[in-house]
Amino acid sequence: MNNPFRKGILFGTVVTAIGTVLILIAIFVAFTAYRTATDTQKYFEKHLYELLDTVESTAGVACFVEDKQLATELVAGLLKNNEVASVIVKASNKELARGKQSDFPEADSLHEQSSTVVSRLIKSPFDKDKVIGEILLEPNIKAIHRQVLEKVYFTISMLALQLIIVATSIILIILYVVVRPIRELSNNLHKIDAAAGERLMLPKGHEGNEIAGLTEDINKLAETLVDALNIEQELRHQQTINEQKYRSIFENSGSGIFIADEVGHISSFNRSFVRLTNLPAKDNGHTPKLAHAPWKNYELLEELIQVCFKERTDQSADFELYADKPCWLNVILTAISDYQVQGVVTNVTTAKLSEATAVQMVETDKLTGLANRVGLERYLPEVIRRSHGETMAMMLVDIKNFRHLNESMGMSAGDQLLKVSASRLMGCIKKTDWLGRYGGHEFVIVLHGAESRVAVESVATRIIEVLRKVVEINETSVSTGCSIGIAFYPAHGLDVSALLRSTELALDYAKTTVKKDFQFFLPEMVEMAEQRHKLESELRHSIQRDELRLFFQPIVDLKEGRIVGAEALVRWQHPTRGLIPPDVFIPIAEESDLICDIGLWVLETACHQLAAWSAAGQSLYLSINVSARQIPNALTASLVKEAINRYGIPASSLALEITEGVLLSDIDKGIEWIRTLRNEGFQIYMDDFGTGYSSLSYLKRFPINVLKIDRSFIRDMNVEANDRLLVQAIATMSHGLGLQVVAEGVENEGQISLLRKMGCKYGQGYFFSKPVPISDFDLLKRSGLHLPD
Amino acid sequence: MVHRTILLLFLIAFGSMSTFAEDVVVVVNQKNSVNKLSRDEVIDIFLGRNRQLSSGVTALPLDLPGTAEEREYFYSHLTGKSMSEINAYWARLIFTGRATPPTLVRSQEEAMQMVIDNRCAISYVNRNKVSSQVKIVFELNNK
Repeated sequence: MNNPFRKGILFGTVVTAIGTVLILIAIFVAFTAYRTATDTQKYFEKHLYELLDTVESTAGVACFVEDKQLATELVAGLLKNNEVASVIVKASNKELARGKQSDFPEADSLHEQSSTVVSRLIKSPFDKDKVIGEILLEPNIKAIHRQVLEKVYFTISMLALQLIIVATSIILIILYVVVRPIRELSNNLHKIDAAAGERLMLPKGHEGNEIAGLTEDINKLAETLVDALNIEQELRHQQTINEQKYRSIFENSGSGIFIADEVGHISSFNRSFVRLTNLPAKDNGHTPKLAHAPWKNYELLEELIQVCFKERTDQSADFELYADKPCWLNVILTAISDYQVQGVVTNVTTAKLSEATAVQMVETDKLTGLANRVGLERYLPEVIRRSHGETMAMMLVDIKNFRHLNESMGMSAGDQLLKVSASRLMGCIKKTDWLGRYGGHEFVIVLHGAESRVAVESVATRIIEVLRKVVEINETSVSTGCSIGIAFYPAHGLDVSALLRSTELALDYAKTTVKKDFQFFLPEMVEMAEQRHKLESELRHSIQRDELRLFFQPIVDLKEGRIVGAEALVRWQHPTRGLIPPDVFIPIAEESDLICDIGLWVLETACHQLAAWSAAGQSLYLSINVSARQIPNALTASLVKEAINRYGIPASSLALEITEGVLLSDIDKGIEWIRTLRNEGFQIYMDDFGTGYSSLSYLKRFPINVLKIDRSFIRDMNVEANDRLLVQAIATMSHGLGLQVVAEGVENEGQISLLRKMGCKYGQGYFFSKPVPISDFDLLKRSGLHLPD
Repeated sequence: MVHRTILLLFLIAFGSMSTFAEDVVVVVNQKNSVNKLSRDEVIDIFLGRNRQLSSGVTALPLDLPGTAEEREYFYSHLTGKSMSEINAYWARLIFTGRATPPTLVRSQEEAMQMVIDNRCAISYVNRNKVSSQVKIVFELNNK
């Protein structure tokens, strides 16, 4: 109790008050003492002067008459005052009287020089200007001091007493009014239990004052605190429940959950994790490690953990375990701190296996059982990755005439051909090599360790030989063949697409340019392809830039030697390369839809020319070439009709030349197209008859007007009996079918006479004229032809 | 005319009266060697300070009775003090006996007689009482 008391307000107040009072007393007393002493001193001085005043007139009389007795009486009278120590009364020059207090030492000290001595000059009672004597008075300093001190002591005592009384009263009042209620409050506060709803009682007699306010504030604060405490408790309770909930979720989760550090120490894991990973039971209380589970590729998991820490993103991967049956686990890693990852493990074996099956299915060609293009795209990068720069050869094998076979004998025949081809190809390669079906009738072969061209070439030759062998399909012997494009890794391409592109280029080159069975890739093929591409883009603009020209090659009545019409042939007047022959740009145009636009331009220009001839009174016809791509939609009968109507020319003056190949893709549609045009009155010419795969039965089915016998038959008919017979047969057959015949490539008179004999009515060729511009054609027309008789 | 007469009469009457009281002189015996006294010497003699004359004789001052106008006139003109003050002055001295007041006479005539008779006697009298038997040593109005 002692210690709190020392700290209490009561103690503080008392100490402070006493201290203050003491200081105040000291100040006041010092001041008062000083003032009192000064005042008293002054008072005594004044008193002495007053004393002198009272005796002055008597002293004047005494001095005037030098009355010693009177002076003595005067001295005695003055000495009755304690303050006066000694007195001397002097007349002009002699002492009249002298006296001193009995307890005062001999008044030797009494002389004018003494500072304390009070003197008064005595003047004559009858003449104020005349000094007749002097009173010297020595004050009794001790007595005066004693009295002064007495006065001072008294004053101080009174003052101190007053202050003490006042201070005590104030302290008592403070104690009663302030400290006591606060102590009471404090004591009450110790006793109450705020949580139980108890509140502080207001000390009596303090209603409405600051103590009441304080009590109220404390109660409010207590309520706030109690509320906060309740909320806090509620939260903690909720948290506990949540924690239990999550704990239960964690423990009972079907997925394995673990928390591990960078080196794979598992700090926390659930039952499912153990079940899924076959983690061995705890051994000797050692921290379990991820590595303890039978991962097939634990290093990959370690890597994934590092990536997870580095990237700070969720990482996921599948891992296989060593087990009796295939077992795949998917692990999703989440970094939960700088040194901990949380992993969720699920069994994905089923999905993995079905995925593998699906992949297998996607990557396999159903027909041949070989890998397909997808398979190639997965296989080749892997092979490349493992090859470490070792040379490989890639072959692109294209089965010839496949489309034709497919169309003539049906899809199943095509399929059969592919199957046979696949098995034959398989026989040509080593087990370590790779075979896949790349497209409709293309196979890809990857030859490993193909060091020399010679080795590859021998494989290619063998393939060509094998595939050339007759295949029996539906009891029909089918003869086919193949073209092969070959490229080398890494020389001709570092990835799948580059290699394929190289083989494609080589294949294309083999098929179109050199007409060889196989072709190695050459770097210039790229440039050629680029050139081709450039040409294509330039060709695209040729119509707008008016670079196309129509040339005319006359068709002549062999008997009459008269020009009856002409074949319109398109030429490209290239701004920098000059005249580009059609066999260069027409194939390019045919690969895209450009041929359709060019065809329309040709139609338009031909009609224009026909209209011009018609206007000039010349009756000539024109034949224009139609590409397979234009049939049947790019050049419809109505479109042609509309053109001739626009130019006001008869349908009979326009002929449309098609090749046998045009009709092969879709025979029925082709026949329908011909029929419609025929109905409109147009002529249909069959160009290049005798080449390709046309069978004579087509002639019956195709409602054409004119056959144009291919130049290859005409060329050697003078010397080759077979050719002559063939031409003769075609002419005779055509005649029988009611078809007109035009011989192409007529170059000499012998041919003309032969043709005349065979009944071939019309001819076309360099003998008459090469294809020429319209101006030259007109000139030719005017000058006429000179045929042999 | 009447006014002028009254004024004149008043002036005459007043003048004669003032002449009466104002002209007070101090006289001594003819035989006294002192012929002239200063005002201070007169004061010393009459107020008891020093009665030793220069001639070596002790002077005997005489005082007129309190009723005499000359007495009051003499003291007031000599010391500037009233009679009561002079009386108070003497009251202080009487007890010690160191100094005695002048000897009281009953009249100016008596005073004159005593001066004539006594070589030491000295008195103040109205000038009109002065006879050749005395010497005027101090004239109050002679300033």
